[in-house]
Amino acid sequence: MPSENVVETDVLIVGGGIAGCFAAIKAREHGLAVTIADKTSAGNSGGTLVAGYGYVVFNPEWGHNLDDCMNAINTKGEYINNREWTEIVLKDSWATYEALESWGTEFVEGEDGTKSVKAYPPFGVVRMGLTRAGPPSRKQAVKSGVEIMDGITVVELLKQDGRVVGAIGFAPTTGDLYVFKAKATVISSGVNTFRSLGNISNLTGDGEAMAYRAGAEITSKEFPDTNALPVDPSGSLFGEAFPLWRYHTDAEGNRLDLSDEYELALTQEFAVHAGRGPIIWDLDTATSEDIEKMRQRQEHSVPPKSKWAAFDPGKRGKFRIAGGAWVGMQNSQTGGIWPINTKCATTLPGLYAAGECCGTRYLGAYHPAPGFGLLGSAVTGTRAGIGAAEYALQVEKPVIDGEELARAKRILYAPVERNSGFSPRWVTQILHNTVVPYFIIYIKHEERLKAALTIVRFLNDHLVPKLTAKDSHELRLAHDTKNMVLHAEMILRCSLFRTESRGVHYREDYPRRDDPAWLAWVKLREENGEMKLWKEPVPKEWWPDLSKPYEEIYPRRLLGE
Amino acid sequence: MAIERINPDLCNGCRLCINSCPMDVIRLDEESNKAVCKYPEDCMCCYICELECPEDAIYVSPVRHVPLLVSW
Ligand SMILES: Cc1cc2nc3c(=O)[nH]c(=O)nc-3n(C[C@H](O)[C@H](O)[C@H](O)COP(=O)(O)OP(=O)(O)OC[C@H]3O[C@@H](n4cnc5c(N)ncnc54)[C@H](O)[C@@H]3O)c2cc1C
Ligand code: SF4
Ligand code: SF4
Repeated sequence: MPSENVVETDVLIVGGGIAGCFAAIKAREHGLAVTIADKTSAGNSGGTLVAGYGYVVFNPEWGHNLDDCMNAINTKGEYINNREWTEIVLKDSWATYEALESWGTEFVEGEDGTKSVKAYPPFGVVRMGLTRAGPPSRKQAVKSGVEIMDGITVVELLKQDGRVVGAIGFAPTTGDLYVFKAKATVISSGVNTFRSLGNISNLTGDGEAMAYRAGAEITSKEFPDTNALPVDPSGSLFGEAFPLWRYHTDAEGNRLDLSDEYELALTQEFAVHAGRGPIIWDLDTATSEDIEKMRQRQEHSVPPKSKWAAFDPGKRGKFRIAGGAWVGMQNSQTGGIWPINTKCATTLPGLYAAGECCGTRYLGAYHPAPGFGLLGSAVTGTRAGIGAAEYALQVEKPVIDGEELARAKRILYAPVERNSGFSPRWVTQILHNTVVPYFIIYIKHEERLKAALTIVRFLNDHLVPKLTAKDSHELRLAHDTKNMVLHAEMILRCSLFRTESRGVHYREDYPRRDDPAWLAWVKLREENGEMKLWKEPVPKEWWPDLSKPYEEIYPRRLLGE
Repeated sequence: MAIERINPDLCNGCRLCINSCPMDVIRLDEESNKAVCKYPEDCMCCYICELECPEDAIYVSPVRHVPLLVSW
């Protein structure tokens, strides 16, 4: 018989990746009871588990210049980065780096004996060793007295008198129910990936989805992640091939113009759309020096026992690259829950957002170097932890009435109580067929977006309310599916709403940036059961100098310009 | 395909694979106290269980049960 458990805590953290761990550790410093609930295993799951390349650090003593870094982000982010947050993340980076290092994350020294990788000026990127960021952060959280509860899928936020007062979840292995009563709640459950190839399929955007359902504002879901890590169509990641994507060619063997190593924004998708696919990773043409570099990378970041370590780049060969390995993800921390202040509070009292769930927009429409994801997550984690703790210190212990609990339980258990309806695996497959092809989310057009939205709306209105689950494992699948369908609607609607192209948001029917009309962010929220969207202008002082020629403001040319 | 084998002769029932599987694929068989692959169709071939298992009892193949649609 599954049990029903009530967990009372001061600060509840939903998801224990790097953001959740930083938040928990910071909140503990205020002497509060802090609980992390994680769908899998805090510190050993999600983006934080797979992120192994690097971490951005900003340190003037290492020669970094704030104006240069800001300017580079403004330009690459195409002027819709939130500059207040951009500056905060850069300035807070050193403290988070030192924290990680003191907790046991190894940062590897480069060829010149320093830790700073010089490949991405004006930024400082440090490479991580095998320890990565997750396990040491978890250890530190435990040491600080944070209660960690693994294997719990949080499903729905609890609200009382307009305030978020905790959440409800269950353990798929046992079916046990957990009611978390908390003075403050931090959402840090990571991205949505539509269960694509990239091996973090347990991330289905649950946090943003529950925040949306509770009435929070969401922003900027139109900027897809265009990561081009080589992944073959069966889903095998090629070890740590990161630095070698300059060997991507089109099907005819022409190198893709990835001259700037990080110029990946849609380059491959444009080639595929022109009929020059599939994209090939051609190691036959790689220099021996680059092959050696890749071997070193593997040594630093692939556990020796892992199958990925067995991939020997020295054997060379030509490999087919699969598109959209992380198709549901957004450009890091652009899309997410709208923070109303620099302590990651949201429009809902008692609710804080951190990591990939927090839409700080600090990088804007594209990102200029690798290593910003973990950094932004650690910084927002720190700030959300402090914000949530300060709030928790001010409010009374919540009392949750029976009606609210009954509502949340009904939602949680509904799929197992239905005897007929639709299987979550099948609905997920239909969702895939609808949104995964490159011409929906990457190369967009009004007609195709509307067509996909029609299907997604049908899934949402007709199939999702009738999802079934035979057992507690399938119950998790049902909630995952429901959240992915909701994300699809957000992505499609934001994409339709922004009638221009910018950064990684590309509209074939509007292939240019439209200034000043779209020096703005898209926001959305639920209103009377409908998704309502509106525009929030970027402050004028952050606009580019519009008297300059367009080509100078936007050096990157888009297809059709 | 997916988890191809959990060798019952090697498995010591420590549950590490169960607790680390992001897709909730593995269960402990109560009678034998051995891990079994209960939901192979949801395995994403991430090899985490294989890496975690102290007894090297698990073998995962990179081929998924249902091939995934890719973007291109
Ligand atoms: C392949 C890959 C490589 C990357 N490499 C780098 C890199 O080298 N450098 C870099 O800076 N960034 C990198 N990133 C980005 C980086 O991983 C993320 O920015 C960062 O890890 C996000 O941290 P987070 O804490 O917000 O989320 P995550 O680390 O994803 O953590 C989310 C946690 O929430 C849990 N969770 C999810 N849903 C629920 C739920 N319903 N209930 C309870 N818990 C839940 C998950 O189990 C997980 O533990 C990479 C990303 C990918 C995909
Ligand atoms: S980790 Fe290995 S030994 Fe432990 S339960 Fe799983 S299969 Fe058995
Ligand atoms: S390979 Fe990954 S998804 Fe498959 S059973 Fe092992 S841990 Fe789970």
